[in-house]
Amino acid sequence: MKQELKKNRIPTPVKLLAGMLAAVTFSTVFAHHPIQGKFDPDADVQFSGIVTRVDWRSPHVHVFMNVREGNSMVNWAVELENPYILINNGWHEDSLQPGDAVSVAGMRARNGSRQVWGEQVSLTDTGRPVYTVNDTSPAKPLSPRPVPRWSEDNHPVLGAVPGGADGIWGYPTSKALVEDGVNVGMNEYGLLDNVADAAKVAPMQDWALARYIHRQERDLRDDPMYLDCKPPGGPRQYQSDLGLQLIEDKQNQRIFVLLGSGNRNYRIIHMDGRDPVGLVGGDDDNPLFYGRSVGRWEGDTLVVDTEGFNEGFWFTNGGLPHTDRLSMVEKFTRTDFDTLHYEVTIDDPGAYTRPWTVSWDLSWVGGAELPFSLCQHNRQ
Amino acid sequence: MFLRIYQRIIKGLTIVLGLVMLAGTAHAQEGHPLKGSWIGEWSGNTALGDFVLVVMDWDGETVSGMINPGTDNLAIDSVDLDPSDWSVEIKAGDYTIDASIENLELPSRSLTGTWSSRNGRGDFDIVRQ
Repeated sequence: MKQELKKNRIPTPVKLLAGMLAAVTFSTVFAHHPIQGKFDPDADVQFSGIVTRVDWRSPHVHVFMNVREGNSMVNWAVELENPYILINNGWHEDSLQPGDAVSVAGMRARNGSRQVWGEQVSLTDTGRPVYTVNDTSPAKPLSPRPVPRWSEDNHPVLGAVPGGADGIWGYPTSKALVEDGVNVGMNEYGLLDNVADAAKVAPMQDWALARYIHRQERDLRDDPMYLDCKPPGGPRQYQSDLGLQLIEDKQNQRIFVLLGSGNRNYRIIHMDGRDPVGLVGGDDDNPLFYGRSVGRWEGDTLVVDTEGFNEGFWFTNGGLPHTDRLSMVEKFTRTDFDTLHYEVTIDDPGAYTRPWTVSWDLSWVGGAELPFSLCQHNRQ
Repeated sequence: MFLRIYQRIIKGLTIVLGLVMLAGTAHAQEGHPLKGSWIGEWSGNTALGDFVLVVMDWDGETVSGMINPGTDNLAIDSVDLDPSDWSVEIKAGDYTIDASIENLELPSRSLTGTWSSRNGRGDFDIVRQ
């Protein structure tokens, strides 16, 4: 039984080939935060060993294994995706069991501890992959199903049909803000393929561009959502792989946006015609992670104005900056039963030179429930 | 004589109160990197004392602010930030501060460099609260 540790620096062409194969066959690209914050993409590590324990809990599953290093046996922690994501891909807590021999390839923790982000986990004897994740949205019907509507006002139902099956919105077609019409390469965490493209992403002021580049060059490791459990305010809440629900409270004229994972975060969109301010004389001067939102219907599109953001979070994967002068106009259109089109226009004269617009789609995941997990601080 | 002692007491209390109010409020701030309250020292400043409190804000076009808010405050006349190397020049009255931002992505980032005025010069080091 092979139980050896190999630290290696794989040549770039081999890395590229491995990356292409991984993209075709399987991947673990389904994280809900940039794993580069904890793990170093340039510190590849491979080893084989024996599973000692599977810790199946949110936010991330860990597989502990004994690995031989020289004459001694050491224990490594292999970090994997959220249980919700793994379950959706057909895996279970007992898919691996203590005593199983597995091989792992991934990125080692930046702090030098025996932790690795498991990019590839496979049974040593057969090579069969384990705990792999496919980033594909549910298949849609050949003929689009009609948009469900409320009987009382004929507006589209934004979430699950009352009395029907549950479901959530997920699988966003875009996971980081890039101005519509701009074509730049970036990964699922918003990390640019070429940082020289940074200025194309959005019309940033000089300081904002420099700060964006700085975050990109640090592989997004400073993301406060990961380090300090800060909420995914702004459009970022619609970029999560863990999904969201839109709950329409018609009686009280408000819409709840419930977010998958993330400490039971939610946001309220008021539909009663109020202004986007807090309680005057109360919390009206307190800037918020989700801002203050008011909505209205324009035909079949829900239009939401939001302002009153604080500056304590990243409002998109990838690290584009914003200031407390940020306001945004969001448009939600359920184009058919299984598709929600989301468009947001960003207006932040503190960080950008003009308003700019981004749009993407989310898919209906029928029968799914929002996953729940509590975030843990990772700042060291 | 009594008036000078009284003024020193008031000045001291103002600084202490400012420090107490700002203590433990290292909020994450992911927007403009100069915005916020900063506390530290401008060493050898015999006119205003070693300790310094700087408050800066960003309105989308300019950085404005105040040094030592309180009875002996000094309005900031101009702030120039060079994002290429995160160097900063602050001018306030007779004072010029040349510094650079360090640990940019930390909530408790620092601004380190030198201060100078017709009364002298020395090291300048403040940390965002």
